Amino acid sequence: MEYPQDGRDRRIAQLRRGILELAVMAVLYHGRHYGYSLIRVLSERGSIPLKEGTIYPILARLNRDGLVGSEWVESVQGPPRKYYALTSSGRQLFDELSQELDSLVSLVQRNWKTPDQSESVGKKLAVRKG
Amino acid sequence: MNNYPEVVARIANDYLERVKAQLRLAPARERDEFLREIESHLYEAYRQTPIDDDVARILAVLRNLGEPAEVVACRLPGTMMCSGAKRNLPLYVVGGIFIALFGIPLGFGGLSVLVGLLLALAGMVAAFYATAGSILLAGAMFILLGLSRILLPGLFDRLVELGFIQLGGPVGEFLDHFSPSDQGLFMLLFACVLVAVGLGMLWLGRYIFRGLRFLSGLLFDWIRRLAHSVRRKLGRENREAPPQVGQVSFANGK
Repeated sequence: MEYPQDGRDRRIAQLRRGILELAVMAVLYHGRHYGYSLIRVLSERGSIPLKEGTIYPILARLNRDGLVGSEWVESVQGPPRKYYALTSSGRQLFDELSQELDSLVSLVQRNWKTPDQSESVGKKLAVRKG
Repeated sequence: MNNYPEVVARIANDYLERVKAQLRLAPARERDEFLREIESHLYEAYRQTPIDDDVARILAVLRNLGEPAEVVACRLPGTMMCSGAKRNLPLYVVGGIFIALFGIPLGFGGLSVLVGLLLALAGMVAAFYATAGSILLAGAMFILLGLSRILLPGLFDRLVELGFIQLGGPVGEFLDHFSPSDQGLFMLLFACVLVAVGLGMLWLGRYIFRGLRFLSGLLFDWIRRLAHSVRRKLGRENREAPPQVGQVSFANGK
């Protein structure tokens, strides 16, 4: 029986939510951005469908925690833009978190199958066939 | 300069007003800064969305940005709280305390009515017990008078002469027909009646007190159930009500 679509969507959204803050930090690690430009970078280069409004609460939280700094810069066209950049503590934390993410990814992608298990599975299949 | 067409400005303004409404509890400085940021986002997104029709374009921008409640969420700094946080207004907190304590959904007017009723009931109970106490005190005085009339008739006469004891009128005329010891017995008999009435009132008072407690319990229970149903109804209406759209004109060129 196939797993329900809504359950799958919920789990994917949960996974993305968890990683999005780190993705925002990753983009800001390499340069300052204002909200909309950050969204563009994430959605164009990250190829992940993104609800734009979710970025601002993340930025606000990072700002509150002192991981990003912000400043208003006048724009040639339109209203001023609020630029964000990682602070030194934000950069340090990002380095630690990305290492942690690497180990988590390798944990998921590692081949957990042992030679003994492959053999026993083969045997069971052989018995069923017989 | 935003340079929106009028209809776009109106739609964007409505959206910003809804965001502002979500942030009504946030400090003014943080709220204004957040609104400026969202306004900046709307401008950038509108400028870079490749749709010819103005209305469809701004609606696409707003759709991509999400509902104000999602944009604000519970994740804003410090005092910027959840969208449903309007109940945390100090007045609502005070009202909530009163509702929790008294189960009153009627505000301060209802509270005064209930306090008035309770004070009236308390006054009636106090008056009842004061009457019972007075009757018992009168009974005790008549016991003293009766005993003094029987045991110390000279002293009693002296007190009557001095005006400390006044037994005139029909009662005095009635008692004059009897000897001092009989008069004392009558007084003791009357004192016993008074004491019995006083004690009877105290005994009845216990039941009256219980009855009043039962009545006030019924009243509180009724108010609590009413408050519960009102709260449930209000909660359902809040969930079903569409977000309110503001009427303030769009602030151009901040």
